[in-house]
Amino acid sequence: MLLSSDTFRNLCRARELLGASPEQCLSVKHIAHQVAISPYHFIRQFEAVFGITPHQFRIQSRLDQAKLLLAKGDLSVTEVCMQIGFSSLGTFSDLCARRFGSPPSLYKRRARAMVQVPGNYPQELFPGCLSLMGCLPAAAFRNFQEASPLSLR
Amino acid sequence: MRIKLTSLMVDDQDKAVKFYTDMLGFRKKHEIPMGAYKWLTVVSPEGPADIELSLEPNANPAAKTFQKAMFDQKIPLAAFEVSNIEKEYERLAALGVVFTTKPMQAGPVTIAVLSDTCGNLIQLYQPAR
Repeated sequence: MLLSSDTFRNLCRARELLGASPEQCLSVKHIAHQVAISPYHFIRQFEAVFGITPHQFRIQSRLDQAKLLLAKGDLSVTEVCMQIGFSSLGTFSDLCARRFGSPPSLYKRRARAMVQVPGNYPQELFPGCLSLMGCLPAAAFRNFQEASPLSLR
Repeated sequence: MRIKLTSLMVDDQDKAVKFYTDMLGFRKKHEIPMGAYKWLTVVSPEGPADIELSLEPNANPAAKTFQKAMFDQKIPLAAFEVSNIEKEYERLAALGVVFTTKPMQAGPVTIAVLSDTCGNLIQLYQPAR
């Protein structure tokens, strides 16, 4: 599929709108309208470009925000849930459990335990360019060959 | 000093490894679990075999900002060489890969740009024969 420049720009703008604050939360259909693409095509094209549907993208960006807020530690789980635009604590809790592998309360406790200086985020939350390598114990390098599938040796 | 490792940031490593292997045709070389993320690299079956591309999580908010800004400006964050760009374009487009630039002449090379579904634009180029 070849995207025209206009469609590309519109999809980028739609991504912006989807990630916007919950106060200006528009429905996926509404956003499709705003960027002048039919809802069906919008969902299909968005997924082909970003690898995720608009609705899932919105959830993902809210959960990303939640991670930061939980790690920061100033807000309670309920406050974080409201701030990122979820109206149900149950849904929020469920989503966290599925995506981060632990419910928000536990995630918060773990993240807070990693925080050294108040207000700083734990580095574990943000692997940067090649920082994963930096965290490897020296022994891991010797195990690279063993870790790789047999067919690739 | 040698260049043997380069990296791209991706929004989801599982999705990325699927795209880079199933669609682009690279092979997974290393997949080492590291907490919530993985040390994940791919190589090209067409070689050189010892140059690895690491697909790294873009979890750092600064990385996300950079990646998004580059994407919005249509700037590719990597370029891969192909021997027949028209053929690659046809093959990938048929698989549902989205291109923002169709194969076009750009000075001594022919280029095309595609979306890797992980937040990056990737340029393909075919050098002049």
